[in-house]
Amino acid sequence: MARKTDIGEREQRVTQKTLHSVDETLRLPAVTPPVTYPIETLVPQVRQQTPAVGQRATRSDGRMHGLGQTRYIDDLAFPGMLYAKIKRAGIASARIKRIDTREAEAMPGVMAVLTGREIPVNSFGPSLKDQPVLADDRVFHAGDGVAAVAAVTEQIALEALDKIKVEYEPLPAVFDPLEALKDDAHKVHAPNSNVYATKIIKKGDIDKGFAASDRIFEGRFRTQMVEHVPLEPHATIAVWDPNGRVTIYSTLGRITLGRADVARTLKMPINRIRIIATIVGGNFGGKNEITQEPVLALLSKKTGRPVKGTFTRTEEFIATTTRHPIIMDYKTGVSKAGKILARKVRLVLDGGAYCSWSETTLGKACILAAGPYNIDNLLAEAFVVYTNKTMTGAMRGFGAPQVCFAYESHMDDIACALNIDPLDIRLLNAFEEGSSSPTGQVLQSVVVKDSLLQAAQRFGWKEARS
Amino acid sequence: MANVTLNVNGKLRTASVPPETTLLKLLRDHYNLTGAKLGCDVGDCGACTVIVDGMPVNACLMLASQADGREVLTIEGLATSDQLHPLQKAFEDHASLQCGFCGPGIILSAKALLDETPNPTVPEIRDALSGNLCRCTGYTKMIEAIQAAARVLREEPAERDA
Amino acid sequence: MRAFEYVAAKDSRHAVALLAEYGPSAKVLAGGTDLLVEFKAAPRVPQMVIDISRAEDLKNIALTAQGLSIGAAVTHTEIMRSPLIREMCPALVDAAHTIGAVQTRNLGTLGGNLVTCVPSMDSGPTLIALDALVAIAGPAGYQDMPLDGFFVGPRKSILKPDELLVAIVIPKKNLGKPAAFVKFGLRKGQALALVNVAASLRVDSDKHVFRGTRIALGAVAPTVIRAQQAEAYLEGRAVTPEAMAEAGRIAAGEAKPISDFRASAAYRRDLIAVLTRRALEGAYALGKSKRDRET
Repeated sequence: MARKTDIGEREQRVTQKTLHSVDETLRLPAVTPPVTYPIETLVPQVRQQTPAVGQRATRSDGRMHGLGQTRYIDDLAFPGMLYAKIKRAGIASARIKRIDTREAEAMPGVMAVLTGREIPVNSFGPSLKDQPVLADDRVFHAGDGVAAVAAVTEQIALEALDKIKVEYEPLPAVFDPLEALKDDAHKVHAPNSNVYATKIIKKGDIDKGFAASDRIFEGRFRTQMVEHVPLEPHATIAVWDPNGRVTIYSTLGRITLGRADVARTLKMPINRIRIIATIVGGNFGGKNEITQEPVLALLSKKTGRPVKGTFTRTEEFIATTTRHPIIMDYKTGVSKAGKILARKVRLVLDGGAYCSWSETTLGKACILAAGPYNIDNLLAEAFVVYTNKTMTGAMRGFGAPQVCFAYESHMDDIACALNIDPLDIRLLNAFEEGSSSPTGQVLQSVVVKDSLLQAAQRFGWKEARS
Repeated sequence: MANVTLNVNGKLRTASVPPETTLLKLLRDHYNLTGAKLGCDVGDCGACTVIVDGMPVNACLMLASQADGREVLTIEGLATSDQLHPLQKAFEDHASLQCGFCGPGIILSAKALLDETPNPTVPEIRDALSGNLCRCTGYTKMIEAIQAAARVLREEPAERDA
Repeated sequence: MRAFEYVAAKDSRHAVALLAEYGPSAKVLAGGTDLLVEFKAAPRVPQMVIDISRAEDLKNIALTAQGLSIGAAVTHTEIMRSPLIREMCPALVDAAHTIGAVQTRNLGTLGGNLVTCVPSMDSGPTLIALDALVAIAGPAGYQDMPLDGFFVGPRKSILKPDELLVAIVIPKKNLGKPAAFVKFGLRKGQALALVNVAASLRVDSDKHVFRGTRIALGAVAPTVIRAQQAEAYLEGRAVTPEAMAEAGRIAAGEAKPISDFRASAAYRRDLIAVLTRRALEGAYALGKSKRDRET
């Protein structure tokens, strides 16, 4: 008994002392004391077996998926929930002269209508903030949203869209990225140039390299716009609480970025915004940024009720990001034996109507444009240009698949012309342990040649060629 | 309004819905059976597949009125309170699903196949799944799982499915 | 979907009466695999939808005095499973199998496929190649006409708003006539035909020459068309692989394929030549195995 009281007293004294000393330390020093980190850093042990790697594991979501019990955003419902639909411009480049929403607002069952001018800050984007939440004055691509409606049923919301009258003044438009590159092309986001990001990689001296080459090959390769087509369309539900905080349930992949974008566009402190993302029915990069979240948040605020919006499959194609089409011009100088001595690449990325993740795509495409090959003399110039088409953004690979198509096709063309086995020309040029990437990164764990040789053996490459 | 009565997963259910209501909307919005998904709404993706009178159909292309008086089986009707259907077990064991959105549709198409063809060849499985799109997996594990489930169903006595 | 009213027709007579009552403000619904898709994209929908998918007399498959009668509301799956059709017109079974996917075939109907009347319809060519007739019900009663005249243009059949397609009949004389159907799409399932071809033929057992060849081409003209020059070329000609290949080339010249995002006109012409040859080969092989069995 006595001991317990003793501990109690000691505890009390220790606690008081700690509390007091915290007060002392809270007075921040004028100069922050130096912090020392351990000098030794852990070097990862590559290719070592660990207890977990190589073990069979069951996916934690498999059971719920199989039972059909997984709740995706569209499977959620809230009491009093309204349904939102967005009217799409249907014209690639225009000035909006007038939007008349009176007839739609008067429809029974329509609870609110929203247009671009009601958005507090009508611009967002992962880097360049060039994308409007709803088109206000200008339309930059046919999938731009120009107005939104919240109604008691989806059917009424769709009918209300028909009743919204928009008067457009068509403007010139540019659709071909090579056209957009020209000085006299229509400026999509005038007065800015259509070229909104550039990356240049220079290594060695390509003039010397070409001069020393036995043969020089040129080729142009193009890839097309690709839509992610996640099986689950974009879906979002916005709900406000009595304390003026909004919760947004969304198929959004990057929720922290989403909060920042919603905070910006709604001019709200970020701590009043909660984004809940749940199991998503496929993303592949297409759900990396907000689409309708601010629209639904505002409709929900206006109506005082939860508002759900789901994209139609058509909207998935016209109003969500897509993969950048790229026009790739390759010029490669090789020795007689097929060793690459110099390479010049020009990439023109179709950057769509808005920047989105184009800079990342540009960066990766440019760095990877040379391929996994040792090239001492390299010039890679990459540009991304605005066009009046669906915005291009993140899609698995971020530019890598496009350039891979180009440099490997180019390699095949060279091998064919030189009468060299396509496998051999790659073995001759491929990265090795310690090779340096176009940007000077020294590469480790390089297994390109091992993989090629193993694959060749499994496919029966030599047998097929003979 | 259209008054419909249908047998859903063994239970008789009714509804009074606008005539243009699809079976998909009836199941999802009125009966809260959200296993059938809306992927395209035009019968191209198969995410809305349910089994009506033993046949897999796109619920988005069937009016609720057209399901009146019929038997509908959704993914929620496959498992019993104490057992997964062999297809659900096999899909779990083989990690056949990733995002899972196509899962209910695929599993029901597979069930309809195995009900008719207990020992399907791979081309027959592919044909049965040709109306169900999957963007994540590449279908390989699904085909393996269906073959595994088929083996289980062939070995077990007929009462198993009751 | 926008709002519409709905009524289920008990049989074809009931459906015709309803069509007479509602006229152009009504549309007939069978499987819905084309119609409901159309509704979902359309700015307006009809006031009334008349559902014939469970109309009693439109679901029959039977041998009649005329030939093999297939009700308009028979689904593609039902065609594939019908013992009668499998025996008498296996090419029709093959054609049904190329339509959409399992789910679409379980709902979609033969009548619907014909009435929707897209140039790439998969059920049309085989029926044309077998000289099929269609039975139409209207206010004046029932009438027959050759399927050939039923197609007017893309998405336009000859049906008036108060008429109903009731049955498709393959004439008695063509039951068992060797026929084959070939379709080429960008995928094996859920794909529109870039080109589809059906051919039917008989072989004169004495002289081993072509008799009564029919070649029907789909997706390469505003409607399904017959390659009549190719047919004439084969009539009375010795049955050889070269003749079949030449018939294919002639057929390619008779068509007017378009270039679109799926394929170029040139590629389609190539396809016509190859698929026609394959259809002829298929029909011939079917006939040969029959003849071999019979002798």
